[in-house]
Amino acid sequence: MARIGVFICHCGTNIASVVDVERVAESAKTMPGVVFATTYKYMCSEPGQAMIKESIEQYNLDRIVIGSCSPRMHELTFRKMLKGTKINPYMLEIANLREQCAWVHTDREKATEKAIGLVQMSVAKVANNKPLTTSTIPITKRALVIGGGIAGMQAALDIADCGFDVTIVEKEPSIGGHMVMLDKTFPTMDCSACISTPKMVECNAHPNITLKTSCEVEKVSGYVGNFEVTIKEKAKYVNHDLCTGCGLCQTKCPTKVTSEFDQGLSKRPAIYIPFAQAVPSKPVIDANACLKLTKDKCGICEKVCPIGAIDYKDEVSYTTEEYGAIVIATGYELVDWAEMYPEYGGGKYKDVITGLQFERLVNASGPTEGHIVRPSDGKEPKDVVIVKCVGSRDPKKGKSYCSRACCMYSAKHAHQILDKIPNSRVYIFYMDVRTPGKGYEEFYDNTRRDGAQYIRGRVSKIYKEGSKLIVRGEDSLIGKPVTVEADMVILATAMEPSPTVADVANKLGIAIDADRWVTEAHPKLRPVETQTNGIYLCGTCQGPKDIPDTVAQGSAAAAKVAALLCHDEMETSPMISFVDPNKCSGCGFCEGVCPYKAITMVEYAGRDGNRRVTKTVAQVNEGLCQGCGCCNAICRTGCIDLKGFTNDQILKEVDALCL
Amino acid sequence: MAYTKEQIQEMIRQEAKKALATGEVSAVVGWTSTRFEDRTKPFFAETESECDLLVWNEYCINGTAKYALDDRYPEKKLAVIARGCDSRAINRLIQDKQVKRENLYIIGVACDGKDNPICKECQHKNPLTFDVLVGEEVEEQINADRFAEVLAFEKLTPDERYDYWAKQYDKCIHCYACRNACPACNCIECYADQYRTGWQGKAADREQNQVYGLTRVYHVGDRCIECGECERVCPMDLPIMRQTRKMLKDINDLFGDYECGLPDDRKPVLGEYKLEDPDEFM
Repeated sequence: MARIGVFICHCGTNIASVVDVERVAESAKTMPGVVFATTYKYMCSEPGQAMIKESIEQYNLDRIVIGSCSPRMHELTFRKMLKGTKINPYMLEIANLREQCAWVHTDREKATEKAIGLVQMSVAKVANNKPLTTSTIPITKRALVIGGGIAGMQAALDIADCGFDVTIVEKEPSIGGHMVMLDKTFPTMDCSACISTPKMVECNAHPNITLKTSCEVEKVSGYVGNFEVTIKEKAKYVNHDLCTGCGLCQTKCPTKVTSEFDQGLSKRPAIYIPFAQAVPSKPVIDANACLKLTKDKCGICEKVCPIGAIDYKDEVSYTTEEYGAIVIATGYELVDWAEMYPEYGGGKYKDVITGLQFERLVNASGPTEGHIVRPSDGKEPKDVVIVKCVGSRDPKKGKSYCSRACCMYSAKHAHQILDKIPNSRVYIFYMDVRTPGKGYEEFYDNTRRDGAQYIRGRVSKIYKEGSKLIVRGEDSLIGKPVTVEADMVILATAMEPSPTVADVANKLGIAIDADRWVTEAHPKLRPVETQTNGIYLCGTCQGPKDIPDTVAQGSAAAAKVAALLCHDEMETSPMISFVDPNKCSGCGFCEGVCPYKAITMVEYAGRDGNRRVTKTVAQVNEGLCQGCGCCNAICRTGCIDLKGFTNDQILKEVDALCL
Repeated sequence: MAYTKEQIQEMIRQEAKKALATGEVSAVVGWTSTRFEDRTKPFFAETESECDLLVWNEYCINGTAKYALDDRYPEKKLAVIARGCDSRAINRLIQDKQVKRENLYIIGVACDGKDNPICKECQHKNPLTFDVLVGEEVEEQINADRFAEVLAFEKLTPDERYDYWAKQYDKCIHCYACRNACPACNCIECYADQYRTGWQGKAADREQNQVYGLTRVYHVGDRCIECGECERVCPMDLPIMRQTRKMLKDINDLFGDYECGLPDDRKPVLGEYKLEDPDEFM
């Protein structure tokens, strides 16, 4: 017979003010198997835990129920406490008397009754608990970072500095991401390239970091500590082992196409190093533009290359490697505003540009060497309009969320225009100005003092009259329409996740939300973990954010990875599914619904009557299973069960309440 | 020129003999006559002479597919004479991984409708999967409405519907005939036979019968091939298909056109997990 102890927590007044905890404890004493019940003000506190331990000794308890806050809060605390006692840590049930009772009810009488019911269920369940033991799995001490932007680089550097091997997979020919495109960074106005390119160089030079540019993740299998990742390397058509990066090829290439790095404001050759500070500083051939590869003509780069590094027959190649942890840092793109906002010209007017294009314009290494000029005629603009929230905070046309960085970079753009162009005027159309960050509000104040005119309202239309762009909007503070004759318009367009994220998330088996941002395991308490163990996230793949937050998240993810990789082996949760192979019909439904790809169908030597037969049955991978229970729900036979939440235990809970 | 029943019967017998003659087939499942003129019974022809006992008429009602489960690990193939519904049942068993296609030899025969009410709503008279087709294909009943009965029943108030089903379940004798006849009920061990867990009470009272009825419809609802065997075999005449069809209709409404047992069958909707699954209820 079980010897159950019941401990009801007051949680200060959180529970006790609504639930009559003494009555709950008294009532618990009459429940089957309960030999001791008591209450305490803070069960999770040091004296509270000591009291539970003493009671276990004194009353010879073999399992306990704690009526307190949600198990998500303190189940682990109490399990750890039980490790120091004779009771197995899994002979514990938490009755959630706070979140699911006291906090949501006001009627003391009814809430107390409900609390008694909840305790009753937990008592019934704990009576059927079985001791569970954790097992251990080895850990491969290497990490994979997907994405070589500032988030990925920061994470990789921090992991590498802890002494672990890191691979960065970057789909573009160079690492650096968006940050290296930017000119100055708010609020300190330090040069973006000057602070990010050293990180790129460091990534390249670090003995623990392997760079895999022009690469993508093709396939991921395995589980925490033991991922097997197939990486696809796109054809570069240049042998980087031979190439010295002299750059002769790109000066001779006759083809010119739009430069991605300069956001369409300049041209680049078909064989190209994306930008001067690129890492690796070696060219690749754009197969869609190259004359040799498209029309089998030209071939100049091969002729001029002094060491014969050009290889037109280069093909896609695949490598498979093992990693213990994966960090996803796939970053963002700007939304395609032209389609969303035809009233802003829909891309017709050359002088309506995005914030990122402006960054290239104002950048000393950009197409105009830092001179702010109109892309249409190369003249210096005097009147510049900045439109904020283009695509953000606009659920009808774009995204419902706030892109977070735009208020600050728009203030920075205004500051730069007013600083660089004498007698210039800047008008900023805004909905709200959001500047939560260290030194941000001060920066915004400065910009206003510089003379930027903030107009609260949305822009309804932009059209051309002569060489001027007419911007019509509303000043909602005075309730009147306003018209500005501008020379240039900068749109602060919304961030959206990189288009590759859905594919990568699918391969990793992690969740993304309706806007395709990667979902974190817990928005507050586990912000850089995903729901899948061993897979972490950082940067703008999780949501819009600025550089300081991105870097902080990169380091945070690295700390999590290091905390995993510093162990030789790890404990796995014992609360996972298991299959009774004799009952299993092998229908494979569990395999289909498993979100973690933890179930495989395997051959099993079974019996059919008096014959020996080879059956096909489900098998659970203990490393991958997260104990979600989807397989339990789909199994009609009930031959797959979840340790710690067995069908039997749940039925006993239901019976305790209903019978 | 359409074949007569007798001609088809003769062709079935010939095909059965051919199948047995290959030596790869252990038996041919079909129908044979009984002492009642308007009844046939399922029949396993294991020799050439037994093939001549196979019959084909409007009383060939019983499903033949589920007999493939009698031996899940056969040494030889089983030949099955399959109408449209039987071929869908075979597809069901294959998709549920209970039998292997290569363990079956399917003699398809287009069905002209049997002396069975559900045949009036049949939308697949011609077999969908077969190794050899006897006779020729017939015209399908395009205008048959599978959900007419459900639509009419949905018009009742919840209380009226509850009372109706309560009365039906008062009749149920908990015999599991519906389960045993159903090609979608193909688990090695049914949940209802598991005594220890206590899923299913053994008493044949309204409460336990309702638990069984609801569980049954959830277990087969997204995999039902609409052969109507459950309802036909029910000794107490419960309108079992009405429940399953309600489930199918809801699935049709929520997930688009959905029919089970077709050769290109998509996975049962309740047995699949996709990242893009709608979760607006969460």
